[in-house]
Amino acid sequence: MDPSVIGILVIIVTLIVFGSGAPVAFGLGIVAIIFLFGFQGFGMTKILAETFFGGISEFTIVSIPMFVVMGIAVAASPAGKDLYSALDRWLNKVPGGLVVSNLGACALFAALSGSSPATCAAIGKMGIPEMRERGFSKEISAGTIAAGGTLGILIPPSITMIVYGISTETSIGKLFIAGLIPGIMLTILFMAWAIFKIWWTTRNNDQNFKDLIFKNYSWKEKFEVLPKVVPFLLIVAGVLYTLYGGIATPSEASGVGAFFCILLIAVVYKIYQPKKIWSILTESMKESGMIMMIIAASYLFSFALSNLYITQTVAEAMTTLKVNKWVLMFMINIFLLVAGFFLPPVAVIVMTAPILLPIIEQAGFDPYWFAVILTINMEIGLITPPVGLNLYVINGIAPDINLKEILTGSLPFMLCMVLAIIILCIFPEIATWLPNKLFTK
Amino acid sequence: MDIFIKIVKKTSEICGVIATFLLLLSVLAIVHMVVERYVFNLSTVWQTEFVIFSLAGATFIGSPYILLKKGHVNVEIIPHYLGKRGKFICALIASLTSFLFCLIISYVAFQYWHESYTGDWKTGTVWDAKIWKLMISFPIGMTLTSLQYIADILSLLTGREMPFQNPNTGEAH
Repeated sequence: MDPSVIGILVIIVTLIVFGSGAPVAFGLGIVAIIFLFGFQGFGMTKILAETFFGGISEFTIVSIPMFVVMGIAVAASPAGKDLYSALDRWLNKVPGGLVVSNLGACALFAALSGSSPATCAAIGKMGIPEMRERGFSKEISAGTIAAGGTLGILIPPSITMIVYGISTETSIGKLFIAGLIPGIMLTILFMAWAIFKIWWTTRNNDQNFKDLIFKNYSWKEKFEVLPKVVPFLLIVAGVLYTLYGGIATPSEASGVGAFFCILLIAVVYKIYQPKKIWSILTESMKESGMIMMIIAASYLFSFALSNLYITQTVAEAMTTLKVNKWVLMFMINIFLLVAGFFLPPVAVIVMTAPILLPIIEQAGFDPYWFAVILTINMEIGLITPPVGLNLYVINGIAPDINLKEILTGSLPFMLCMVLAIIILCIFPEIATWLPNKLFTK
Repeated sequence: MDIFIKIVKKTSEICGVIATFLLLLSVLAIVHMVVERYVFNLSTVWQTEFVIFSLAGATFIGSPYILLKKGHVNVEIIPHYLGKRGKFICALIASLTSFLFCLIISYVAFQYWHESYTGDWKTGTVWDAKIWKLMISFPIGMTLTSLQYIADILSLLTGREMPFQNPNTGEAH
C-alpha cells in the first residue's frame, strides 16, 4: 500500500483511539503496534521493547522528572502568593499595577515551575480573588491568569522545550535560552495590553474606583516580602547560569535545582514534614511518569511512521510542493494551532516535531527559532477550547467565572501571542541571537 | 471479583510508593553525583546509570498507580458530549485498546528482559552493572498496568465504576 494512504489511515485510527478517551501514551502505542504488525508482520517484537524502553532510558530525559519535582515543590508552598504580593507591592504605581503584577508573577513562577497549569493555579488562587476585590472585571482577572500561565512552557526551564529537544535531538540548554527573550517579549506584550485595557476602562471612572485599584504600600511592606521570594529566584538564576555557562548538564542542574527547592520550602515555609514532602514526590512521580510514558510511546509511534515510510513521504511531498517558505510556515502554524486545540503540548510535540523538523530545516528555518514558534502555538492551545487546560484550571479555582467569560478575557492575550509569532517571523534574531551568542564559545 | 479488584488496587498503591521512593533516590543520587564531580573533582562511577534506570523504573512501576489515579492524560471531549451509553462504549474502547497495548508491551518486555538475563548483558561502563537487574521494572510495571486495566474494565462492566470517573471526587464527566 502507498505510504500516503497508510499515513491517512494512521491519522484516522489515531483520531478514533484518542477520541474514545484512551490515554495519549497508550493510544499512541497501540496505533504504532497495529500498523507495524498489520503491514510488517510480527517479526519485530524485540525492536518494540527496545524502542519503548530505550525512549526513556537516557540521561537527557532525567531533567523532566527533576524539573517536575522543582515545580510541584514550589507550587505546594505559598511561594506563588509571595511572588505575586511582592510584585504587587513594588508595581503599585504602574497603571493597572495589580494586573501587571499578576502577569509578572506568572512569568517568574513559570521560570520556577516550567508548567502552565501549575503557574495558573499557583498565581490564580490568590491573584483572581484579589483582582476582583479591587474592582477588575471577571474577564480581565481570569484572562490575565489564563494567559500568564501559558508563559510556563516558554520561559525556561520549560518541560515542553525538553521534550522538543529530546524528540529532535537538539540542545536543551540552547532551547531554554532561545525561549528566554521571546518569553520576556510575550510578557511585555501581555502587560502592554493589560495597561491599555485598564487605562481604557478607568479613564472615565470616578476617584473611588481608581483608589480601589491603585493601593499604596509603605517601604517596610515592600521590603518585608523580599526575603521569601529572592531565594527561589536565585535557584532559577543558578540553574540557568550553570546551563548556559556550560558548567553542568540540564539533568544535573535540574536535579540540584529540585533538591534546593525542597530544601527552600522546608526552610522558608516550614514544609519539612515527611508526609508533605512525600506527597510532593508522589505528585511529581505521577506527573513525570505520565510525561515519560508519552515520550516512550512516541518513540514507538515515530519508529512506526518512519518504518512504514510515512515520515519520509510527508517530507518529500512538502519539499516538492515548491511553495514559498513563509506559506509553508503559515500552513505549519495553522496545523500546530489546530493540533494544539485538541492535544496536550507534549503529545503534539512528540508526534509532530520529528516529522516537521527536516521540513523546517530544508526550508532554511532555524530549529531553535522553530521551537519557540511551536511553543507559542501550544500556548494558544492551552487557552482555547475544547482542551485548553488553563481554562479548566481557572474554572476550578474560580468556579463563579464561567468558561465564556474566561475565554472573552483570554482572547486579546491570544492575539498578543499571534502578534508575537508575527514579530518572531520578521525578527527571528529575537529567539536565535542569545543562544547563538552564548553557545559559540 | 471484589477481592481481585481490591488486591490489584492495593498492588498499584504499593507500586506508587516504590516509584516515589525511586524518584527520591534519583534526586539524591544526582546531588551526590554533582558534589563528587564538581566539588571534589572526582569521577563518578554508578550515579548516571543509577539515575537513568531508577527513573525508568519509577515510570514503569509507577504506571499502574498513575492509571489507578487516572493520571495518564487523555482527551475526553467526545465522551463529554455523549449520553450514558455513548460514554460507556467510549470508556470500553479506550480501556480495551490501552489494555491490549500494555499486554503486548508486557510480553515483549519479558522477552527482552529474558534475553538480557540469559545473555548476561552488562552496561559496559565503569560500574558494569547487570542490565537484567536494572531493567526488571519494565516487564513488571507493564504487567501490573495490564492487571490494573483488567480491574478497571471489570469495574466498568459490572457498574462498580462510572465511565471516566474521577478517582478523587468520584464524579463522572
